[in-house]
Amino acid sequence: MNPWKAATVVGLAGFALLVLVPFWWIASMSFKTYEQIQFAQSIYVPRPFTWENYTGLWLDTRFPLWLRNSAITAVVVTVITTVVSCLGGYAVARLRFPGREWVASLILILYLVPPALLFIPLYRVLAELGATNSLMALFLSYPTFTVPFCTWLLIGFFKALPTELEEAALVDGATRTQALARVLLPLAAPGIVASAIFAFTLSWNEFLYALIFIQDERMITVPVGLNLLIYGDVFHWGQLMAASVITTVPVVTLYMFIHRWMVEGLAAGAVKG
Amino acid sequence: MWLSFTDKLVGYPERWVGLRNYLYLAHDDTFHTVVRNSLTFTCASVALKVLTGLAMALVLHATWRWRNFFRGLLLLPWITSTVIIALTWRWMFDAFPGRGFFNSVLLDAGLLTRPIAFMATPEGAMAAVVVANWWRGFPFFGVSYLAGMQAIPGELYEAASVDGAGAWRRFWHITLPGLKHVIIVTVLLTFIFTLNDFNIIYVMTRGGPGTATQVFATYSYEVAFNQLRWGRGVTISIYAVPLLIAVIPLVSRYLLRERAA
Repeated sequence: MNPWKAATVVGLAGFALLVLVPFWWIASMSFKTYEQIQFAQSIYVPRPFTWENYTGLWLDTRFPLWLRNSAITAVVVTVITTVVSCLGGYAVARLRFPGREWVASLILILYLVPPALLFIPLYRVLAELGATNSLMALFLSYPTFTVPFCTWLLIGFFKALPTELEEAALVDGATRTQALARVLLPLAAPGIVASAIFAFTLSWNEFLYALIFIQDERMITVPVGLNLLIYGDVFHWGQLMAASVITTVPVVTLYMFIHRWMVEGLAAGAVKG
Repeated sequence: MWLSFTDKLVGYPERWVGLRNYLYLAHDDTFHTVVRNSLTFTCASVALKVLTGLAMALVLHATWRWRNFFRGLLLLPWITSTVIIALTWRWMFDAFPGRGFFNSVLLDAGLLTRPIAFMATPEGAMAAVVVANWWRGFPFFGVSYLAGMQAIPGELYEAASVDGAGAWRRFWHITLPGLKHVIIVTVLLTFIFTLNDFNIIYVMTRGGPGTATQVFATYSYEVAFNQLRWGRGVTISIYAVPLLIAVIPLVSRYLLRERAA
C-alpha cells in the first residue's frame, strides 16, 4: 500500500472516530443506571445494560408532551415555510417585475441576519399580539429565519430548471397557476423536499426563541425541556442522554433519505455553518 | 415575515432615547470582556474549522471507495441539535458528576492522578466551548471544500505533475486558489453566525465561570431577561451590528455573483 493510501485510511479513521465518540458517549450513557453514572462504573460500555432511563423519561417527565410540541411546531413551520418559499422562490426566479434583483438580495440579507439579534424586538411584537407562552409564538417567529433561507435555496433550484417546459404548458392554454402546479413543482420536487427538511431540522433544533417566548412548562419544546432536566435539583444525565437519542433519531433518519440532495444544497453555498 | 422584520424598528427608539446605554456599555468592564470573548470565540472557532475542514476535504477527496458513506457519516454533527451537542460536550469535559469522557480517558491512561475540572477555569471553559462549536461546524466546511475540490479540473494537477511540482506545491498553487471563493464564503457566513451564537455557550457555561465566556448574545439575554434592562440588552446586540454591516454585504455579493454565474 502506498503512503498516500495509508494516510487517507488513517485520516478517515481519525475523522470517523472524532465524529462518533460523542455520539457513542450519548448512546452508552443512556443505557446506564443512575448509580453507574454517578460512581463512574463501567464508563465505556454500559454493563449491566438498562432501559430504565427511557421508561423513566417517558413516564415520569413531561418529555412526551415536549416531543409533541416540537413535532407540531416543526410540522406547522415546515408547511408554512414550504408554501411561502415556493411561491416566493417562483416569483423571483420566473416572474418579471421591477425590483426583482433587489428582492433577491433582500431575501439573502434577511437570511444572513442572525436570529440572536432579533429576539428582544420579536418578543415585544409577540407580547403585543398576545402570542407569547403558546406554540403560536413559535409558528410566527420561526418563519423569520426558515423562510428567507428556503426561498433563497428554491430560487436557485427554480432558476436551474429549463423555462421551455413551462412555456410549452402556457402555450397549450394552461394558466400560470396550472403551469406552476403541474409542471414546475413536480420537476422541482427534490429541491422542495430538501428545503422542507432543512426547515424541519431548523425548527426541530431551535433553542433561543423557544426558551424566551415560552415559559409554561407544558408548552416548551424538546431542546428547552432538556435544559430543565439538568437544572432541576438532581442531574438526570441518563434520562437526558436518552432524550437526546430520541430527539436525534428522527432527524438522522430523515437526513439519510435526502443526504445527497442536502449536499447539493450545501454546494449551492447557502447553508448555515 | 415582513411584519417581523419591519418590527425590528420597534427596538430602535430605545437607541435614541437611551444614548446613555451606549455610553454606559462603552465604559463597562464586563462589556469589554464580552467583546473580547466574542472575538476570541469566533476567531478561534473559525480558524479551527477552516483547517479541519481542509483536512477533511483532502481525506474525503482521496477516498476511493464509499466516499458518499463517509461524507454522510461525517456530516452527522452538523444536523444534530446544538443543545444536545452542547450538553454532551459539557459532560465530556466535566469532572463531576461521574467523571466526563476526557477525565476518564486521561485517568485510565495514567496521565492524571485526579480529575481536572476543565470547565471551572476561565481558559478551560473557553477552550471547551470552542471545541464544541468546532466539532459542530467543521463538517460543513469539509463538505463545502470537498465540493470545491471536485470542481477543480484534473488536468491542472496532471500538468503540474508533468512540470515536476510536488504534492505540497500542487496543493498550494492549485487547490488553495481553486478553493479561495468557497473559503471566503464559508468564513464570512460562519463569522456572522458564530459572533452571535447563543446556544452552545448558554447551555455549556451560561457565560461563566464569572464572565469568562460571556458573548454578545448570552450577555444581551442576561441583561434583557434576567436584569430586565431591555434597552441595554438591545444596545448590546446593536453594538454587534457595525461588524455585521461590514460583513453581510460582502457575503451577499459573493453569493449573488455565484448565482449569476
